[in-house]
Amino acid sequence: MISIKNLHASIEDKEILKGIDLEVKAGEVHAIMGPNGSGKSTLASVLAGREDYEITEGSVTFENEDLLELSPEERAQKGIFLAFQYPVEIPGVSTTNFLKTAINQVREARGQKALDAVHFLKLMKEKMKLVDIDQALLSRSLNEGFSGGEKKRNEIFQMAMLEPKLAVLDETDSGLDIDALKIVADGVNTLKTKDTATIVVTHYQRLLEYIVPDYVHVLYQGRIVKSGDKSLAFELEEKGYDWIKEEVAAI
Amino acid sequence: MIKDAPAILENIASTFKGNKAQKSALDMLNEVGLPHRKSEAYKFTPITSLLEKNIDFQSIVADVFDADKLYDEAGSHLVFINGELDIEKSTIADALKFEVAEVSEGKHDPFSLLNAAYAKEEIRIESGYEEPVFVYHFNSNGFTNPRIKVNVKDGHTFRIIEKLITPEEQKTFTNSYIDFNVGKNAFGYHTKVQNYNAETFSHETVVAHVSRDGQFYNNTFSFEGAMVRNNLTINLEDENTEGHMYGLFLLDKKSHVDNNTSVDHTKPNSFSNELYKGILDEKSTGVFNGKIYVRQDAQKTNAFQSNNNILLSEDATLHTKPQLEIWADDVKCSHGCTSGQLDEDAIFYLRARGIKEKNAKAMILKAFAIETMQHIKVESVKEEVQQLVDLKLG
Repeated sequence: MISIKNLHASIEDKEILKGIDLEVKAGEVHAIMGPNGSGKSTLASVLAGREDYEITEGSVTFENEDLLELSPEERAQKGIFLAFQYPVEIPGVSTTNFLKTAINQVREARGQKALDAVHFLKLMKEKMKLVDIDQALLSRSLNEGFSGGEKKRNEIFQMAMLEPKLAVLDETDSGLDIDALKIVADGVNTLKTKDTATIVVTHYQRLLEYIVPDYVHVLYQGRIVKSGDKSLAFELEEKGYDWIKEEVAAI
Repeated sequence: MIKDAPAILENIASTFKGNKAQKSALDMLNEVGLPHRKSEAYKFTPITSLLEKNIDFQSIVADVFDADKLYDEAGSHLVFINGELDIEKSTIADALKFEVAEVSEGKHDPFSLLNAAYAKEEIRIESGYEEPVFVYHFNSNGFTNPRIKVNVKDGHTFRIIEKLITPEEQKTFTNSYIDFNVGKNAFGYHTKVQNYNAETFSHETVVAHVSRDGQFYNNTFSFEGAMVRNNLTINLEDENTEGHMYGLFLLDKKSHVDNNTSVDHTKPNSFSNELYKGILDEKSTGVFNGKIYVRQDAQKTNAFQSNNNILLSEDATLHTKPQLEIWADDVKCSHGCTSGQLDEDAIFYLRARGIKEKNAKAMILKAFAIETMQHIKVESVKEEVQQLVDLKLG
């Protein structure tokens, strides 16, 4: 589905990603782990198209198309979804209105007819159940005054509404208590199909108990330094990241 | 006393046809002069030199009445052509009490005096009529001085919506004056939509005197104009009074809008709330100056003011200045102003959900502007403002 080759990215002349290679196929869940500052969130942002980063080398192909050529909105329209680590608060824009615009622009780009109010509300009701989010919250300004848990649930709710092919979850577990974590994970698992893929970016293993990855990659100093199956995540949980750092230093 | 711009005053002196009250206004005006280049109150709007440079005060041009500019709404519609009420073109309900009178007095600042001296008539409107009153100024002459006095009687609610229409190919200067006397437990309401053009110069004075338990609301929406100066003064003259000021200036091209507001709390337990927002694009200039006075007697005053601005272009200019003068000790006052660019993180967030960049920006700006529109009570005015905002923001 997505193929990342030798990806280098910098911000303000500082190189953050120093050659990432990653291949994700439909139906798979990949976890990207790593210590703070290793470039995990940068990778997530670069995939979503944040323009603050400059791609200096490498390529990203999404469903046989050069992803790096596309604007953030085109990427979303083609089926990439980034669940933000820090969802932005936007006063005056209600979640409902914003999502209606988003869905209809995505539909328009895909050559589908716009959803009318009735169908939109029906879709909303159906997806709200999935993440246990209530109507009152969605009528309020987008993320404004939401608790950490509400913001993250809202991210997954948006994901459910937009039905992406590739979901990139950037530290979705941060700031969540165990109940909220389960709700969010259940939502993600329910949305998973054999045709979709998920990249879970996380510092800790705890989210991966609920969203079980097929592959785990360790990102350190802008490179993937180790890959394995889910047992790697347990190993990291047990031993921390120091042994990875030592291994890298030894090379 | 510095007498500036005698050129303008001398130039128009020959056209003076006023009565005794107007003559005394003229004398006072000659005494104080028009704002000097260094005049603090007009620091960012060098009005005298702009007028000198652009306006032919004596030009008389064909009328520009256009019935399409009238709101499609129940109520009375008063049409003024170059400063004179045109009864034929107006729709005036029988229940609306009004009077075409001579100017009876002139006071306050230079432009109020200028208006008093050169106004052709003074229209007095009285409440007691439920529907809103729409006032239109179709001004095509070089220099026009519309003058209106509104009396909102005790316990009444009265709504005035005012609009100036000027030709696009003609430089005009409108120096308007409207005065509200808001009675006890009365509610006065005034809204202006300023969607002018590159040839429109205006100085617009709004004064409200609010009596016990009375409230006054002003909404000012500015979209275009060569030079627009709004002087809004609310005098809260008794206890338990309220003054509300809401404004939006959404400008592009070389538009210049200067909002100069002042609320004076003189007695205990009064409240004022002010919110102005600016969105400035291209080479536009926005000015906000908000004064709050809390006199020694005015204990338990609550006064809030905020002015927030977004600059969309490097060539746009903004000047904002809150000014609080407080003599009472038991008061709650707050003021704040912000100015900045569009929030890039917010734009990226919306784009990452599939919304086009252009729409994402418009969405954020509209959300920013909407707060100032909440107090428009007349549906067709609300629609008009909404449409203008949509048009400007794409």
